[in-house]
Amino acid sequence: MKNARVDVWTLVLAVSVGVIGVLLVWPLTSIFAASVIDNRTGDLTLDNYVRVLTRPFFQTAMLNSLIVGVGGMLGALLLGIPLAVLTTRYVIAGRQFLSTLAVLALVSPPFIGAYAWIMMLGRNGFIRLGLESIGIEVPSIYGFFGIILVFSLKFYPFVFLLTASSLGTINPSIEEAAEGLGARPWRRLFQITLPLVFPAISAAALLTFVLSIADFGTPSIVGGNVRVLATTAYNLFNSEMGGNPGLASATSVVLIAMSLVVVALQRYAVRRRNVAGALIRRPVPRRLGRLASVVAHVVCYSIVLVSSLPSLVVIYMSFRKTSGPVFQPGLSLDSYAKIIREVPHVIGNSATYSFIAVALIVIVGTGIGYLLARRETVLTGALDGAFVIPFVMPGVVLGLAYVVTFNVPPLELTGTATIIVLMLFIRRLPYTVRSSVSILKQIKGSLEEAAISLGAGPAQAFLKITLPLMLPGIVAGGLMSFITAINELSSSLILYVGRTMTMPVRIYLSVLDGEFGTAAALATILLFASGLAVYLIFRVSGRNESAFV
Amino acid sequence: MARLDIQNIRKSYPGVTALDDISLAIKSGEFFTLLGPSGCGKTTLLRTVAGFNSHDSGEILVDGGRIDNVPAHRRNIGMVYQDYAVFPHMSVEDNVGFGLVTRKTPKAEIAERVARALALVQLGGLEARLPYELSGGQQQRVALARAMVINPRILLMDEPLSNLDAKLRVGLRDEIRDLQRSLGITTLYVTHDQEEALVISDRICIMERGRVHQVGSPHDVYARPATLFVASFVGAMNVFRDIAVGPGGEVRLGSAAVALAGLAGRSRVTLSIRPEDVTIGGSPAGEGPALRLEATLRKVTYAGRDALYRVEGSGFAPLLVHLYRPDTARLAEVDTRLTVTLPVRCLHAFDATDERRIDLRP
Repeated sequence: MKNARVDVWTLVLAVSVGVIGVLLVWPLTSIFAASVIDNRTGDLTLDNYVRVLTRPFFQTAMLNSLIVGVGGMLGALLLGIPLAVLTTRYVIAGRQFLSTLAVLALVSPPFIGAYAWIMMLGRNGFIRLGLESIGIEVPSIYGFFGIILVFSLKFYPFVFLLTASSLGTINPSIEEAAEGLGARPWRRLFQITLPLVFPAISAAALLTFVLSIADFGTPSIVGGNVRVLATTAYNLFNSEMGGNPGLASATSVVLIAMSLVVVALQRYAVRRRNVAGALIRRPVPRRLGRLASVVAHVVCYSIVLVSSLPSLVVIYMSFRKTSGPVFQPGLSLDSYAKIIREVPHVIGNSATYSFIAVALIVIVGTGIGYLLARRETVLTGALDGAFVIPFVMPGVVLGLAYVVTFNVPPLELTGTATIIVLMLFIRRLPYTVRSSVSILKQIKGSLEEAAISLGAGPAQAFLKITLPLMLPGIVAGGLMSFITAINELSSSLILYVGRTMTMPVRIYLSVLDGEFGTAAALATILLFASGLAVYLIFRVSGRNESAFV
Repeated sequence: MARLDIQNIRKSYPGVTALDDISLAIKSGEFFTLLGPSGCGKTTLLRTVAGFNSHDSGEILVDGGRIDNVPAHRRNIGMVYQDYAVFPHMSVEDNVGFGLVTRKTPKAEIAERVARALALVQLGGLEARLPYELSGGQQQRVALARAMVINPRILLMDEPLSNLDAKLRVGLRDEIRDLQRSLGITTLYVTHDQEEALVISDRICIMERGRVHQVGSPHDVYARPATLFVASFVGAMNVFRDIAVGPGGEVRLGSAAVALAGLAGRSRVTLSIRPEDVTIGGSPAGEGPALRLEATLRKVTYAGRDALYRVEGSGFAPLLVHLYRPDTARLAEVDTRLTVTLPVRCLHAFDATDERRIDLRP
């Protein structure tokens, strides 16, 4: 039976390799090619890299990216780790409420946070004005302060959720043993507990760094004159001079390289650190003394409430009376009337594109996940490797790569809805694949074999046995994909034309135009859609917050 | 009911020979066990028969017809797994009926056959339960019923009792045996537990590192192990390695010597004897020749209905002596000097290099 493995899964493998090749490897190759080819002569050149690496203009952008990346990462760690330790190790009232708010903060896009902070701390921000009236000067929100503030408050939930779930799997005997050996609480925390969850913390740190340097909306809204690589690449490409794809591509490749280096560093840091132990008992939260308990509650609630503030502000502002672009006292539905009057197609586009992309992601992602988990071959190994790419490929870069690749035959797609759907599809696909793989790892392979030995063909065995068992995980993953798809800004900003504009793009443009009412109303719709998806995820996956990371 | 022929099956992975030219002829209705340590190839062979592993060469035949080129789902072979593999989202009834549904059996017939199968494994009345509501033993009964209800030509079992606790294991073991015998299904059973293999099997095949050491009845493999590996793996065995042999077949252990005709002409040999064949004190008359060794008692392990002595002496490896129904008052103190007797008729001899059995009584 040497060739008996040619079955329905062979077909799925062929299709998957095709999809990844066309939608991922080809664009990546194109952008790399564009970076080493001279714009005018078409010769092979390293000029673009020489310029990017030597000119102060780019060096500043690189340094700035590094600063906001490290700043955002440290800020997120500083907020996320204490929250995780306090809520898993000590009795904190309303733990569920806190983690729900953290998840909600997580699923709203960063640029909405950036814009909300402008309304609070910008030149005419109400908090700034309030504080100034009692004589307190607040540093300008524009620049590093604003970017890092937004990143810290936006990305800390990743650190919180990853660390908390890892803390939940440490055998309490280990910590009790440390205590029995005389280690005081602080010493126990720093020498036993935190080192044990280091893999989770470092993975979260990596994630927040990569997200911070990839984010385009935040630095372009609150960055002021701080240019980072993502905004630089976008501007180079989009400049009125007709754009410079060579330089933009080289900048993109540098951005990818930066992410890759950090990924490699993290992998190196967690090598030989497999600390997963046999879990006999679950850790039980302890009671704190009265004073310590008050402090712990203040810390936890401050972090979570401050991070929820932007969403609340946006929702409130969307119901304010407006007169043109200016907010007036009093409440009204003016802004909603305006978006329904002026940009109804934008809402329709966002919904349509996201639904189609999610449908594709779920179908293809489940198939590929199955291949990776159950059929190990050289080809599936290569597929697995290819899935690191979108993770380190910022949205701006993917957008640029798609323009470079698909603005000429054989696949001329720029300006169509298809290209936006495909972009949304490929950006989220790897996450779904990864989650399908981990779901499948929990479903014993013997179940499907048993079905086959009972006479079910491979396809039937999958559909009747494995798929039903995967379903809750697949639905949760699909909803997560929906959240990211509907909130996606940077790639859409590069790929949209008037007809194919989406809500995040409209919000971004409205913010730049000072149309805060429109932006707030659209952002509220986005927040509502994301919140609804979170609610549904909780329903299908039984309140498992770690489903969100 | 079908005979199963495994002919010259080979399978190698990079750097490992998983199955090295395996040929077995399993009779219709036979309970045949593959026994060996982990990594010996027994599960690989079982899964090859089931159709879940590919092999490099060789053939598998059921009743003379090749099945190794038939896809797994058309082989009509039942399989029972160590981890039960009961479908967690289906009721007991749907689990057992699954194979009949895939065969498009009429509904009324499915209901009737499922009910009968559940009665056979004593799960009548639990039709509507979901697997998580069942104990491990009950889940394995569901798996058993599910595999048998399709009237498979061959039933394969991959360590079906390993995940159960000791008491349950013994109970279900006997039940499987009785059921198999009454239905007469040809069964290929995999285990690493030698006691289980001895109790349950018609014949046992002992494997190690992809090779077959011996195929025989439980009594054969226990009483006449074909290799030193079989001797040590099945039951306990005292082994005296690499003993020099005199020209007439004389061997010496410590101060005792005996001439064994079967060893004449050899230079070195490995001898062994089971702990229950060794006796303490001089052997009674009429028992034939024996080796009598002077030794010191080093350790006593008392386990109720039996006990083990570990004794040491100069010129031979430490050995275990099994005492059945030890009378506590008569158990000796540690460090007592005593004589142990090794009856010659109980000795096993193996070639010192290839470790194959040498017959001492031609």
